[in-house]
Amino acid sequence: MMTNKALVSTKPAAASKLTMTNKRRTAFHHSIAYVILTLVSLTVVIPVLWMLSTSVKSDQEIFTIPPRWIPEDITFESFVRIWTDYPFLNYFANSFVVVLAATFISLFFSCLAGYGASRFQFKGKGAFLTFLLVTQMFPSIMLLIPFYKIIQTLGLVNTYVGLIFTYISFTIPFCSWMMMGYFQSIPKELDEAAAIDGCGKFRIFWQIIFPLSLPGVAATAIYSFIVGWNEYMFALVLMQSEEMKTVPVGIGQLIGQYKIMWNDMMASSLVASIPVLIFFLFFQKYLISSLTAGAVKS
Amino acid sequence: MRKAYAHQTPWAGYWFILPSLITMMVLIAYPLVYGVYISFFDTNLLNKWNFVALKYYAQAISDPDFLHKIGLTFKYTTMVVVGNIVVGTLLAVILNMNLRGRVFFRALLILPWLFPEVVVALLWKWLFNPLYGLFNHMLMGANLIQDPIAWLDSPHFALYGVVFACIWKGYPLVMILVLAGLQSIPKDLYEAAEIDGANKLQAFRHITIPGLMPVMLVTIILETVWWFKHFTIVWLLTAGGPVNATSVISIDIYKIAFEDFRFGKAAALAVIVFFICFLMSYIYRRFLANDDK
Repeated sequence: MMTNKALVSTKPAAASKLTMTNKRRTAFHHSIAYVILTLVSLTVVIPVLWMLSTSVKSDQEIFTIPPRWIPEDITFESFVRIWTDYPFLNYFANSFVVVLAATFISLFFSCLAGYGASRFQFKGKGAFLTFLLVTQMFPSIMLLIPFYKIIQTLGLVNTYVGLIFTYISFTIPFCSWMMMGYFQSIPKELDEAAAIDGCGKFRIFWQIIFPLSLPGVAATAIYSFIVGWNEYMFALVLMQSEEMKTVPVGIGQLIGQYKIMWNDMMASSLVASIPVLIFFLFFQKYLISSLTAGAVKS
Repeated sequence: MRKAYAHQTPWAGYWFILPSLITMMVLIAYPLVYGVYISFFDTNLLNKWNFVALKYYAQAISDPDFLHKIGLTFKYTTMVVVGNIVVGTLLAVILNMNLRGRVFFRALLILPWLFPEVVVALLWKWLFNPLYGLFNHMLMGANLIQDPIAWLDSPHFALYGVVFACIWKGYPLVMILVLAGLQSIPKDLYEAAEIDGANKLQAFRHITIPGLMPVMLVTIILETVWWFKHFTIVWLLTAGGPVNATSVISIDIYKIAFEDFRFGKAAALAVIVFFICFLMSYIYRRFLANDDK
């Protein structure tokens, strides 16, 4: 990377000296880079391993001084207990229903909006796009109080519908933006060819462009899923009855217990992180490119 | 031809954006306006609606307690955002180098971003536990401290403990965005500079920095607004305590609304926070956009 080709061809003797120092300097830079990478990686890995280690400890062993890295008897009782002694089955079901419904709706709406904004010129398009961006600026706490009142008035507290409304309001703006970026990368000639063949606008979108955009759709869906799956504040306020709570609220309230069972808490934290980790593992390439496309372009 | 196709059907665009537009009007624009409306009332949202006009706004800006909390929120936001930008940018620059195993490191370093905020908060609450926590144990093992520190329970350290956890959660996003920004800078620019005899530092100053500017601007604005209004991690780690040491403005608003049931006052404070966020992003835009030239 750092060898100087222009010099190599003209002055061989000086060049070899230069490449030597350059090589040494590169090696030096790389070793500094590895030191930093290793240090930060340790800061990431140690807490995660500690979470794993705590989750397979028995009730007595979580409170040992000094803390033990590898438990004397490894037990999976916490992973059983979160399903039998705590209502986590219920929390997971609630989270899945709300988040999947919100993802599905916001995906459908954002695909339409993204397609419309990427293909057509119309008055007010600029205003619409600005509105999409400005919504990212609102402090969510500003929406919390009016949302609470509106959802209360509509009798939607402790219902799936109330929380689904909330989550689509978060995800539609950003997802529309992401989808617009993706549709712009698909040649408009495809639309034009189909239009010449007499294909209607919606059919062009649904049968030609949409199937070609599945990687972008997948990335947007995962983004929307992650946002909903991780959301805490609105779920805390809008889902107050025990049967309707979502996973983050369920885990969060373990901290208010009289005696904090850290092993159960770490076990449920791990299980709650699994869906996001799995999605990321399979779709990381698409997800990162779609997420960053918006920021780099705008 | 292309332009003609786009222009001949202006109504089609409206039909496609209509569902999103209606949803955003009903679920964002209307609640925002309604929130401003609530801020003019002394209300519990049920049976008490006393019109007080701008009383809460006037009260807030002359209330030393509120100003103190805004100051605290600025301090917290600055520490988190600077931490995120420094760590994230440094790692992005390193990961952009031609290193062996960088795919492995990238995957590993993104990890904290993937854990839900609630999980991050509880994990650090456990790590910071004064008696059984790993953090103190490791610091004592390395002889950095003599006695365990109650990271989250002492007014002196609580804010730093919270900031540390937030940076742990927040730097990967900056890293991802800056890395994408670095990779979007064309390689030929560096080759051209090298032929012209520019050294590494000059190349960095005149190619990398201007090339990164747009991404940096977006990242800094999003990060600042995002952490200024942050709630979850702080709430679960300390709930604003001890003795208001970590009582950032979101926590304060939440408590006023859902513990004291003074929704009007809370709504007014939320509107003020909105203006602060808006103002900050405006200033950044002016300041950084000018700097670019």
